[in-house]
Amino acid sequence: MRPRPPAMRTKRRYILARILPYGVQVDQKQMYFAVIEAATSLFGDAAVGLAQPAVVFCEGGYVVVRCRRGAENDIAVALATVTSVADERIALRTVATSGTIHALRRRMKPSRRHSGDEEVKIGETYFAVYRYPRQKVDLVEKGIKHQKSLFFTEADLEER
Amino acid sequence: MKITDAGIRPYPAGDSTVARMALEAAGLGFDSAVAIGDAVHRPPGIEILRGAVIGAASVKEVLKRVRDPAVRRADIVYVDAGDTSFNRAVVSIKEVNVVRSIHAARRNAFDHVAARTAAEQGVAVDISMAPIIHLRGTKRQRALQRYADVLSLQRRYGFPLTISSGARSILGQRSVREIRGLCALFGMTGTEVTEALASVGWIAEPHRPVEVVK
Repeated sequence: MRPRPPAMRTKRRYILARILPYGVQVDQKQMYFAVIEAATSLFGDAAVGLAQPAVVFCEGGYVVVRCRRGAENDIAVALATVTSVADERIALRTVATSGTIHALRRRMKPSRRHSGDEEVKIGETYFAVYRYPRQKVDLVEKGIKHQKSLFFTEADLEER
Repeated sequence: MKITDAGIRPYPAGDSTVARMALEAAGLGFDSAVAIGDAVHRPPGIEILRGAVIGAASVKEVLKRVRDPAVRRADIVYVDAGDTSFNRAVVSIKEVNVVRSIHAARRNAFDHVAARTAAEQGVAVDISMAPIIHLRGTKRQRALQRYADVLSLQRRYGFPLTISSGARSILGQRSVREIRGLCALFGMTGTEVTEALASVGWIAEPHRPVEVVK
């Protein structure tokens, strides 16, 4: 089957969103399910069916979501209601919307995560310390599954 | 005009410290935020106001609680909404600044009488983004209905609105642009959102007539 000529193809928009907390590993398929669930529960099957959202890729702390042109604002609102992916608490922060993935790749900045060897005790729990630019410090509970996270700054950590 | 997130709950109520939430709020386009609880930390770059929440079953209890030292220290005093008579009475208390949790109140609990009194007294109604973000199904539909109802009363009587993320974590905070999109779900325009985000500034420091001190 011959592909459609460019003028007859559906116009698409791509939304770049940053995944919080930094360093969380999210499966693309699970992310797709989370985005579809959020959009469907907010706008319903009919609207989401017309918007045709899809997760193009999910890597380096960013996710790129594709949708039909004209539906990008609705999908961006739906992304704001995504709170978890596969039982992992996350948030999606919309960074930019574009007509090409190439333009969005230029907006992707790698997160510089420093160490994880250092540990700190808060209450009775030990946390691994991950430092990020702008004095941000994420504390991840030491363990295998369902670790609790705390979000501090350098100053907060020094005060303890 | 200061764009303010009218309600965040930092550590220990949540998992993010007030300094980290302030850093995040600045990155999301806010000039200030109201931290509910004892936020003693005043981080640079963004103004953190102190908020106190009164969750009471009766007006008598509210009147008692507003005299607490912790509440008197607060820049903004919130009261959780209740039934119709409670809301009508609470908006006329001088010390109360904002009525919150309107999404959890019964339908018509905040009615036209309360709306008129709130407009006269300058008491605001808080619109929290948390129910829209975290709830699903009928509960979220109910919250959107309540907010649409409050908005129609606000357009008629002109009482102030505030918008809060209700975040206990940096993961619950949303940008000004995202808030604009979420508020559009119940028919709030961009101008109304901007006004609501800026209203905390003048609630904390109302324009009063000049007093001559001798």
